[in-house]
Amino acid sequence: MTSRLTINRTRATKVFLSAFLILIAAIAVYAFLILKHDPSFVDLNERLLPMSWQHPFGTDHLGRDMLTRILLGFQLTVGYGFLALLLAVAIGVPIGVIAGFKGGLVDRLLMRVADAFLAFPDTVVAIVLSGLLGAGIENLLLAIILVKWVNYARLARSTVVTERQKDYITMAKINGLSEWRIMWKHLFPHLIGHILVLASLDLGKIILLISSLSYIGLGAQPPAPEWGVMLNEARPYFQTVPALMIYPGLAIVTVVLFSNLFGDYLRDKFDVKKEVAE
Amino acid sequence: MTLLSVQNLTVQVGDAPLVKDVSFEIQKGEWLAIIGQSGSGKSVTASAIGRLLAPNLKAQGKALYNGKDILQFGAKEMRRLRGTSISYIFQDYQGSFTPFHTIGRHFEEFLKAHFKLSKTQRREMAEQALVSVGLQPEMYTRYPFQLSGGQLQRSSIALALLTKPDLVIADEPTAALDSISAFKVLRLLADLQQETGCAMLFITHDLRHVRKHADQIIVMKEGAVVEKGDKQSVLDQPQHAYTRSLMTASPSLSAASQLLKGDDTSCVYCN
Repeated sequence: MTSRLTINRTRATKVFLSAFLILIAAIAVYAFLILKHDPSFVDLNERLLPMSWQHPFGTDHLGRDMLTRILLGFQLTVGYGFLALLLAVAIGVPIGVIAGFKGGLVDRLLMRVADAFLAFPDTVVAIVLSGLLGAGIENLLLAIILVKWVNYARLARSTVVTERQKDYITMAKINGLSEWRIMWKHLFPHLIGHILVLASLDLGKIILLISSLSYIGLGAQPPAPEWGVMLNEARPYFQTVPALMIYPGLAIVTVVLFSNLFGDYLRDKFDVKKEVAE
Repeated sequence: MTLLSVQNLTVQVGDAPLVKDVSFEIQKGEWLAIIGQSGSGKSVTASAIGRLLAPNLKAQGKALYNGKDILQFGAKEMRRLRGTSISYIFQDYQGSFTPFHTIGRHFEEFLKAHFKLSKTQRREMAEQALVSVGLQPEMYTRYPFQLSGGQLQRSSIALALLTKPDLVIADEPTAALDSISAFKVLRLLADLQQETGCAMLFITHDLRHVRKHADQIIVMKEGAVVEKGDKQSVLDQPQHAYTRSLMTASPSLSAASQLLKGDDTSCVYCN
C-alpha cells in the first residue's frame, strides 16, 4: 500500500515537473512573440532594478531585462544541449550498429577508437579544445560531441551484438535483404528505447557542462544570454543583488532536474535498467 | 539428377574441427534426413551450405549446387541463390520473425528484394502462401507475438516456400513445438514437398520424423558421417554401433511390448 502511494507521488511529481517545464519551454520558444525587450539592449539608467510590471525579473547590471534573457537563455542553453546530443547520437549510433553487425576487424577498430575517446574526461577535452581552437560555443559543442558519441556507440553495439545472433537476422539475410536494410529496419528499432533513456539522462549533463564551461569563459561569450555566462556576469553583484544569480541558477537546476526525472521515467517505461546502468 | 553435392566439407573453429570431411548428395525432389545427437555438427553443416556460419568458423571443401560451388560464390550470386533457390526453416519459430514487424511485412520485404511486382500482387502472393499452409489470410496483418508456435512455424514454412525453391533446409523445424503441432507441421511440410517437388534437407534428432518421410538418411556423430544410405537399409540394417544405439534410444510400441514381456535383455532401459 505504502509503496503504491510512493510510486504515485513520484509519478505526480514527474507529471507536474514535466507540465511545468513544457510550459516554460513553450513560452521560451515563442519568447520573441510576447517579449517587448531586446535581450542585449543596454540602458544604464535602468540598471539593477528590482521586480516590476515592466521588468518581472528586474534588470541586470547593464539595464537589460532579466526575464527576456532567461527565456532566450533557455533557447540557447537547451538548444545547444539538444544540438550536441543529437549530433552525438547521430554519430554514435550508426558507428555502434555497424561495429556490432559487421563484427571482426571493423568492430575491433571502431571500438578501440571509442575506447580512446572514453579515456578522456569530458571537461578535460573541452578545456583542451578551447585552448587549441579558441574559446567559443562551437568548439565547446565539438568537444561535447567528441566525448559523448562513445556512449551511444557502445550502447548500440552491445544491443546489436545480442540481437544479431537471433534467427530473424539470419532469416533476413537468407531472404536476401541488403545489409543496410537489416541494420536500419530490423536492428535499429530495438535501440530506440535505450537511446531515448540514455539521451534524456545525458541532456541534463550536457546542459550542465555547457553552462559550467560558459561560466568559466570557455563556452558562450558574454553578450549572449547563456545561463552560465549570466551567472558569471552577475558574480560582482552577488551580495547586493543576489537575484541576478538566483534566476539563471534556478533555470539550470530546473532543466537539469527535469531532464533527469524524465530520463528516469523513460527508463521505467521502457524497462531498460540493465543496459543503461547510470 | 543431383541437385546438391557436398564434397569433403570441413568446418573449423581455430584448429578444432566441428564438421569433419562430410560428403553427401541430394537428388532433385528428394527428402534427405540428417540425424545425430546435439553437437554432432548437423546444424553447422546446414549453415555452411547457405554460407551462414559465424565469422569465426571456416568452411573448406565443396558444396556444388547444380555443378557450381556455393562456397566460392560472390555476394550477388549468393543473394540470388538464397532468395530463390535455397531457403531455410529454423527451430526457433519465435526468433524467425522480427518482433516489431507484421508477418506480412516479412513477405513484403522478401518479395520486394527479389521480384518486380506491384503492391497488390505482392500482397496476393503472400496471402495465398499463408492459405497454402492452412492459415487465414488475416494473419498478414498480425504481429509475431499474436500467433501461436504452430502458426508461426507455418508462416515461416510459407515464407520459405514462397518462391518455390529447389532446396529447403529445415533445421529441426518441429523441435520447439508440442508433439501435436509438430505432427501437423511435419505433415504439412511433406505435403508441400510433394506439391512443389522441392528437395528437403531435414535435420532432426527425432527418429519418428525420419521413419515416415525421409528417402535418404545420414547419421552424424561428433562432426563426421558414420552411416548413410536409403531409409530402409539404415533403419532396418544399421551397420554402425552408434546408429543401433540411436535406434534403441528411440522408444517404439513394439519395443515397449517386448520390454513388458521381459524378453529383450539388450534393452537400454533394463540396466
